[in-house]
Amino acid sequence: MFGPKIKLDRALFEKVKKYSELAGYSSAEEFVTHALEKELAKLEDASSEEEIKNRLKGLGYIS
Amino acid sequence: MLQSIHRSFVGLLILTLLLSACSSLQRVPYRKVFILGIDGLDPVLLRRFIDQGRLPNFQALAQKGHFKPLRTVMPPLSPVAWSAFITGMDAGGHAIFDFVHRDPKTLLPEFSISKAIPSDRSLAIGSWVLPLSGGRVELLREGKPFWQLLQEKGIPTTVFRMPVNFPPQGEGRALSGMGTPDLLGTPGTFSFFTSSPAEGTRDVGGGRIATVQVRDNRVEAKLRGPGNPYRRVEQPDGGHRNPELDLPFEVFLDPQEAVAKFLVQDQEFILKEGEWSEWIRLEFEAVPYLSSISATARFYLQRVRPQFRLYVTPLQINPREPVMPISQPEGWSAELAEELGYFYTQELAEDTKALSSGVFDAKEFWVQSQSVFAEQKRALEHLLKDFDEGLLFYYFSGIDQISHMFWRYMDPEHPGYEADQDLKDGIRTMYQQMDEVVAEILKKLDDDTTLIILSDHGFAPFYRQVNLNSWLHDRGYVKFIRPKPRGPQPFFQNVNWRGTTAYALGLNGVYINLEGRERDGVVAKGMDYADLLERLEEDLLSMIDPANGLHPISRVVRSRRDFKGPFLDQGPDLIVGYSRGYRSSWESPLGDFPADLFLDNTDAWSGDHSIDSRLVPGVLISNRKIILEEPSLVDLTVAVLDEYGIQKSPEMVGQDCLGPVE
Repeated sequence: MFGPKIKLDRALFEKVKKYSELAGYSSAEEFVTHALEKELAKLEDASSEEEIKNRLKGLGYIS
Repeated sequence: MLQSIHRSFVGLLILTLLLSACSSLQRVPYRKVFILGIDGLDPVLLRRFIDQGRLPNFQALAQKGHFKPLRTVMPPLSPVAWSAFITGMDAGGHAIFDFVHRDPKTLLPEFSISKAIPSDRSLAIGSWVLPLSGGRVELLREGKPFWQLLQEKGIPTTVFRMPVNFPPQGEGRALSGMGTPDLLGTPGTFSFFTSSPAEGTRDVGGGRIATVQVRDNRVEAKLRGPGNPYRRVEQPDGGHRNPELDLPFEVFLDPQEAVAKFLVQDQEFILKEGEWSEWIRLEFEAVPYLSSISATARFYLQRVRPQFRLYVTPLQINPREPVMPISQPEGWSAELAEELGYFYTQELAEDTKALSSGVFDAKEFWVQSQSVFAEQKRALEHLLKDFDEGLLFYYFSGIDQISHMFWRYMDPEHPGYEADQDLKDGIRTMYQQMDEVVAEILKKLDDDTTLIILSDHGFAPFYRQVNLNSWLHDRGYVKFIRPKPRGPQPFFQNVNWRGTTAYALGLNGVYINLEGRERDGVVAKGMDYADLLERLEEDLLSMIDPANGLHPISRVVRSRRDFKGPFLDQGPDLIVGYSRGYRSSWESPLGDFPADLFLDNTDAWSGDHSIDSRLVPGVLISNRKIILEEPSLVDLTVAVLDEYGIQKSPEMVGQDCLGPVE
């Protein structure tokens, strides 16, 4: 709650607020945290995930 | 003196007799055993088509010899089943539990059959990296293959396209089969070029779609190749990647006719609409003038106009210059290519992904599958010509692949059912074509040769999908970091491992999040683990599909309880056996959590076998008596050894299932 703060453009914040409610998040903060975690996870695992996807998704059994 | 002359005479006589006996005693050739592996041959369908009088050669063989269902393994997946036959052990001994397993340290899925070990020594000059020692590919199957035991006794062996044998093991002749990647390191990635912007440039499972422009009746396109092993580009996260090699080519469209001329490197060829090219050799230049990576592919001109549509097969490892070890001896693939021409070297070459993604229609898939089948028949004829002693194993993939893709055309109860007068008999036609192969084999084998025909599993319809991970979440076994996730989230992205006790990965596996084994394990070994297994098994067996009140799961196997061997810890804790008609969903095996627990399957992939193994036995047919009431794959391993008087190894779990020569 008292952690570092990040400034957001007002218009973007309004959008975040609107869509976080629509998507079922309990607050805009929760939505932003989740979005950032997802993006960071992507960067951290980008190469290995890409490799895994390529290797496995060609299997007929998996979409 | 006389006595001495007499002794010398007798000695000479004995020596002469011995020499003459030796010269007349040529080495007796080793007994001939021919094993025909037909992936996915189903005993119920086989019996039905025999009873309809459509398979005269299977019928004759079954009457003259013996035909029984063959007990398969849990889970009844090809890599697991063939590994059992190869080693005579269950998954605890051969370590292949599924197509996919997880690395307990990263909790990411990995391919189960083999893995690439990159070069550990290289010299970097700018973005160029020169490997000083080669990388390699490692087969992950454990245990000694039965043909190696034969080779140790001097018996010649040829093992053609045996699954889970990449790189090939042993000293005899072998060409690798299922598990052999294409040039991109995948099970097969086709390329598709279209001038329709609506189709978009995108990657689909097993393929790459690229939009191209037709200008002045000319198309310029590029085939995307493997990463350049000699170049390295730094990534923002500090890692690196090998930039992709590509191969530009041009297509000139005839202004009036539905015909096009292709210019691919220094090769020119003309295709009519709907026509396939021969195999085209492709060279991806890695270091200009010094090093290139050789591949082959076939081009299929699907449409010239109004929209240009071109399909190119996955890039094959060129058997004449293989960049990966696909044969034993290494040069054997080149010898085969000399005799037979180029051929598909990737694992299951029937392009099911092109059909599932809509690039092929079902008839185009049939044509492409038939070309694979024709290659396999040609290679078999070639091998039978010089089969004069020892063991020959030969593998066909067609029945399995057609059964996966054409089930819905013969089954009006299937959610994806389509009435089609030609396609409804697709599976039966494939069985009839295999019957003709059997006829050819019977013509070429003498009566002294032992003939064994086997399949690894049978088949069932795939009507309903089970999102097992979503179900585990609903039952409280999986906890999320954030509630109510939207959209696809594969690889357990939203899983709170500290609150998760069990998760599903692969087609049939459930893993306990065990302390000391999994990266963020929370379940203590001992009673907690045992209690959780008990509860989970009970829960899984009680699962009900609300759409029809059926139980989607009919069996649960516990690796540590039901298997033997030193690799029990590598596999899932529980293996789920689905009821007939059910299977894991498309998304769950790679750790995704779609919203619906149960869904109809409307994909072209409409038949399957990753269910309760008791419901999909394979087939065993032999000209020898089958002496066990319910023979299994691991019994057959022992029987093959026994043909040569070789005792089974102590770790083998089966027993001889074939009687002596009658």
